[in-house]
This record gives sequence, C-alpha cells and structure tokens, in this order.
Amino acid sequence: MNANMFSRLWILVRREIWESPVAFKWTPLIIAGFILLVTILLLIIGAKVDNEQVFTIDGIRMYAQMDDAQQRLMAAGVMFSAGSLFHQIMFLVVVFYLAGSLYDDRRDRSILFWKSLPVSDQMTVASKILTATVAAPIMYLGGIAFIQLALVLIASGYGLMADINIFTEVWAPANLPRVWTVTLLGSLVQSLWLLPIYAWLMFCSSWAPRLPILIAVLVPVLIGMFQHFWSFFSNFRLPDFNLLWVILERIGRGVLPASVEWEQIIHASESEPSFVPKEEMLMSFKSIANAFVSWEMWIGVAIGLIFLAGSVWFRRRATDS
Amino acid sequence: MESSIIHAQGLSRRYGSTIALDSVDLDVPAGRIVGLIGPNGAGKTTALKAILGLSKFNGELEVLGLDPSKDRDDLMEDVCFIADVAVLPRWARVWQIIDLTEKLHPRFSREQCMKYLARTKIKQNSKVRALSKGMVVQLHLALVMSIDAKLLILDEPTLGLDILFRKQFYTSLLNEYFDEQRTILITTHQVEEVEHILTDLIFIKDGKLIVNNTMDDIYEQYTEVMVGPESLEQARALNPIHERVLFGRHIMLFDNADQKRLGELGEIHKPSVADLFVALMGEKADQSETGEKAA
Repeated sequence: MNANMFSRLWILVRREIWESPVAFKWTPLIIAGFILLVTILLLIIGAKVDNEQVFTIDGIRMYAQMDDAQQRLMAAGVMFSAGSLFHQIMFLVVVFYLAGSLYDDRRDRSILFWKSLPVSDQMTVASKILTATVAAPIMYLGGIAFIQLALVLIASGYGLMADINIFTEVWAPANLPRVWTVTLLGSLVQSLWLLPIYAWLMFCSSWAPRLPILIAVLVPVLIGMFQHFWSFFSNFRLPDFNLLWVILERIGRGVLPASVEWEQIIHASESEPSFVPKEEMLMSFKSIANAFVSWEMWIGVAIGLIFLAGSVWFRRRATDS
Repeated sequence: MESSIIHAQGLSRRYGSTIALDSVDLDVPAGRIVGLIGPNGAGKTTALKAILGLSKFNGELEVLGLDPSKDRDDLMEDVCFIADVAVLPRWARVWQIIDLTEKLHPRFSREQCMKYLARTKIKQNSKVRALSKGMVVQLHLALVMSIDAKLLILDEPTLGLDILFRKQFYTSLLNEYFDEQRTILITTHQVEEVEHILTDLIFIKDGKLIVNNTMDDIYEQYTEVMVGPESLEQARALNPIHERVLFGRHIMLFDNADQKRLGELGEIHKPSVADLFVALMGEKADQSETGEKAA
C-alpha cells in the first residue's frame, strides 16, 4: 500500500515536470548557463584590461593568505550568491506554476481525462504541492550544484596558475558537500515556511473561474488596503497587524533558504559596530533548525494545510465547465 | 437488482430553476450497449456526470454497487470514459500518457495498447497537440480498450471526426472490446452510426426518459409503414404517432398496432432510430426540422 502510494505519487510528480519542462528543467539550466557565461566573459574582459592579472592570480594569492574563517566566509559568500539567484527565480516560477496547477486542466478540459484515472483528489493535490515544495528545490539545486562546481573549478584553475594548494585553499573552504546539504535542507524548510502562500495560490487555482494568479494577488492586497484605511479612518492610526505586511514579510524571508541567520544579521549590524561576519550567517544548520521549530513556521503550516484541504474540496467538485 | 451495472431511482439534478434530470429511474444490466439519445440540453451529459461521480445529484444511484459521489476513486478502477476528442492533455507525448496510465491504472495492459497503436500511424514520441483529431481518438480508444473495465462511458466520442474514423471506432469497439461482461453507455448525435450496435435504447428529453427499452422490444413495439395514397385514410384511422411524406408516399409510424393489419396497408419496415427520435421527441409543429438537427 505504502510503496504503491509512493510510486503513484512519483509518477504524478513526474507528470508535473513533463507538463512544465521550462519551469523545472530548463530554467535552472538557463540560469546556470547565464551565470557561467557572465563569469567567463568577465574573466576574458578582465584578462584584457588587467594585464598583470592583479585581480585574478594575485587576488587568489591574497585570498590564500587569509585565515581559515575568512576564507570560509568568502567561499560561502560566493556559493551563496550564486545560489540565491536560483532561489528567487524559483519562487516566481513556483508561484505561476501553482496558480495554474488546478486551473489549466479545467480550462483545456483535460481534467476529464485525469479524472477518468483512478487517482484520488487528495493524491492529485498532494502531487502538485510536492512538486512545488520538494521537486522544484531539488531540480534547482541541480543547477546550483552545477554552477558552484564550475566556479570552484575555475578558481582551482587560477589557483594552480598562482601556485597555491587548491585542496586546502579552495576545495576545503568551499566544502561543496556541506554547501549542498545546507542548501537542500534550507530550501526544503523554506518551502515549508512558504507553504501558506503556496497553498493559497493552489486554493485559488482550484476554484477561480479565470485568471487565478490575479485573484490570488488581488484578494490579499484588497484586504490589506481595506484594513489599512479602516484602521486609519476609525482610529486615526495605522493597524498594528496588517495582513499584507505579514504576507510580504513571509515572502521576503522565504525567497532565500532558511539557512540565513536573519536575526543575527539585522541585530548584529545595528548594535555592534565591531561585528565580524561569519560563514555561519549564510550557511547555518542551526538557523535551519531554529526556523523549523519556530511557532511562526507551524502557524503557517497549519494555515497552508487548511488551504490544501480547501483545494481538495474544490477539486473534488471540479469538471470542465 | 444486484446484477445491475447502473441502478438509479429518482435521480434528479437541477441547476437553479432548470431541471436537468427529473426523477429518472434506470437499470442497466451487464453485457449491454446502451444508447442515450436526446436533443441538446436534454440531460444526457448531466446523467453521465452523475454516473461518473463528476457532479452532485439527488436520489439514489449505484454504479457497480458503489455510490459515485462517495467512492469515485474505487469506481474509476472499473469504469472508463471518453468525453470527446479534446480531453487528452495536449502537452503530453504519447509515451508519457501510456506510462502514466500504466502506473496509475491497475487494470491497464501496455501490451494490448501497443498492439492497438501499432495499427495506427501514431508515433510514441509525438505530442498530443501534433496529432490529428482522428489520431487523438485512436489513441484514447487504444488506451481505454487496454483497460479491463466493466463499464465504458462514451460521451460524443466521435464528434468532429470523418466517417472513416467513426466507422473504424465502432468496429474496433464492437469486435475487440465488447463482451458479455462489459457494458457500454454511449451518447451521440450520430444515431445512424450506433443504432446497429445498440442493444438498448434510451431517449431522454427535458430530464425525463421518454423511451427506455431493448432494441428488440422497440422493433416489436414500433412499426413503420409506407402507405400509398389509396389506403391513406384507413391508415390514419389507426392513429399513427407520426407521419411524414417522402416522394409522394406517406410514411407512418405506429405504436403497438396490429402487424397483420398494417401489412395490408403497405410495405412494413423496421423504423430507424433517427425516425423514432423525430416521431417521439420532435415538436409537433416542425417535426422534420428538429428531427434532422437532433439526429
């Protein structure tokens, strides 16, 4: 039963990726290709301008002389910024994917084919949310891993030219297996953090007669604006708790993996001038664990589950009309 | 009635003030090919959607002993349906649809499906979007015929296809799929093409069943007579339910009339389903016109 359910979910998730190859397969590859192209172009142009190779060969020598913590911070910074572009674009891609997930097949009537298969509506909804929260981060991690590996290889090339020990100075601080593990766990926790947003999009997709993305955006915006004006005109002040801000804050924190230590960064840079940034601020298992056990996380998950249940309810009743 | 594939009692459905199904009673035993025929908006699709668990209904309805509104997921293991040519996902490739059906449908046989597809020009790697309407139907039929289901529901399966595909569709269905254990329920406007394969006929109009009988009983009950001008008055005295004129000869349809008596009046025929449809369902004022449209 369980193995069977897993294999059914697996083929349903594959169906989603077959349906949207651009979103899940080509976009991460294109981003990776783009970053690689820009890097190589910069290096070529740089080599023309910078005859003495001050920024490359000498730069990497200087880097080799830094202490371990600084090396790790620099490596983590490069690895993290290469990955963050993927995560931001992935968020947009997933938003559009989910807004269409339970709508497109109603519009083109293929829902009648899908509903002719013995697949429960819970299973359909589960496969789509799993595609957004698990499959997409894994596919994008593929692109991230590729570009990170390429950057480390390029750095190793310059490292060899500069006669430094690339294993201790490049590969060890970059620590790719750790980076990939942190990124994977971080983006899965990030998905969970965004679950209420994702589930809301899916919920709108399950019943909207048309333009689910517009409805999904307009409803919270209008509620937020109404709340704003209501509070302003009735109490002559702005509301303490505004839905729109809550949502925007969640998205803002959610577009990057949960490995980022937001509190530490915001807090430390404000209060301590002597603050020294560390690698852990970007790639921290502790931060992931903290986000995972926070109460905001689980309130969000609960709201998300309510919207998912609503999506199943509407999907159950959906036909082609 | 345990042996019924479909059992409905007082099946009703209304959309606002429109009554789509008006307390329909229906029993379909196994091993039948049932034609559900009716004008547009008569309630055919509503009835099918209720049977498939795709819409709400009032009254009692059992399909293969299950309640379609509650046990849809189990029901779909034994029920297949083809809505019309447009419903296969257009983005999918042929092999992807076959893979999906194989993994998701416990009664699907890939071998069978490949056998059926080998006879067509459909390529595994084609996208559904790139197939012609006829090929999409061939693909859908190949999929459905490879599923060992008990009930097959066809809602206008050949809409918009040319006559070769339509003929081929029903021939395959009859020769390679249908047997005593299976039941097929068809709605269509192309009555002429299905009438020779039907075992049962249902006419539906304004949500009510006008006719619900086996073809044998229908041919026994209704008789068509081609009456010459000399016996016109005599024939009319027997109260034909419908009369039309073709090349100067009067064709009259009788309900439960004495066959022998009719034989004396003119040439006796089996009525065609299309003519029955016109006679029983057409408006009295412009019978022939509505009949043609509906048929």
